[in-house]
Amino acid sequence: MSRDELLAYATEQILTVPGVRIIGTAREKAGVLSFVMEGIHPHDIGTILDVEGVAIRTGHHCAQPVMQRFGIPATARASFAFYNTKEEVDAFIKALSKVREVLG
Amino acid sequence: MSALKELYQQVILDHNKAPRNFRKMEDATRSVDGYNPLCGDHYTVYVKLDGERIADVSFQGAGCAISKASASVMTSLVKSKTVEEVEELFGQFHRLVKGEIEGEEEVERLGKLAAFAGVSEFPARVKCASLAWHTLHTALKSEEKTISTE
Repeated sequence: MSRDELLAYATEQILTVPGVRIIGTAREKAGVLSFVMEGIHPHDIGTILDVEGVAIRTGHHCAQPVMQRFGIPATARASFAFYNTKEEVDAFIKALSKVREVLG
Repeated sequence: MSALKELYQQVILDHNKAPRNFRKMEDATRSVDGYNPLCGDHYTVYVKLDGERIADVSFQGAGCAISKASASVMTSLVKSKTVEEVEELFGQFHRLVKGEIEGEEEVERLGKLAAFAGVSEFPARVKCASLAWHTLHTALKSEEKTISTE
């Protein structure tokens, strides 16, 4: 899959995870998927995904005004590039369901 | 127990969902804002002192499960303790989350604080766990109004 296809696939899949809200939905954006999960801080998402073998970035991303604009403390952000695969997107989505399992 | 279960123990999940002493204190002797600018966690810790003793303590703010649970457990432990006793507890907590307290017995002796032993496996989360403690320490030991972990 190309980067754009990975992004489209991940965007479609992540919306099946309960409580997820995507931050940044411009029609033409780079291969990044920023999101928040209701009631769960992005840092906790990041730690759990890390243990599940999925590396994402969490925090302000040096964009505090954007966080204020959306009224959120931070976001979690997955990035996709030419070397990523569909299977990795699946692993990412699977790890996200683990987050709710751990934090209840 | 897996590292994740060790980190997100029931005590931590419980204090994150229902934080104790989570309120503003109008008649506080001291209040200090603590920030972790990298992740955006920020808490205000309020202390009412009766001489050298902590008559009341509370906090408000927002952050991850680890930082919020740590602030909540901290407020429930330090009430009615002396400044000196709190400083000693802070020292123990700091050693615990840095993995410097060895042996199950030694850890269990710390009571409710023992729930944070799993943090030492996650170096990136040590600052989350200690933010409220650093803020309380500042309230008790200096005149600063804000502190930052960076």
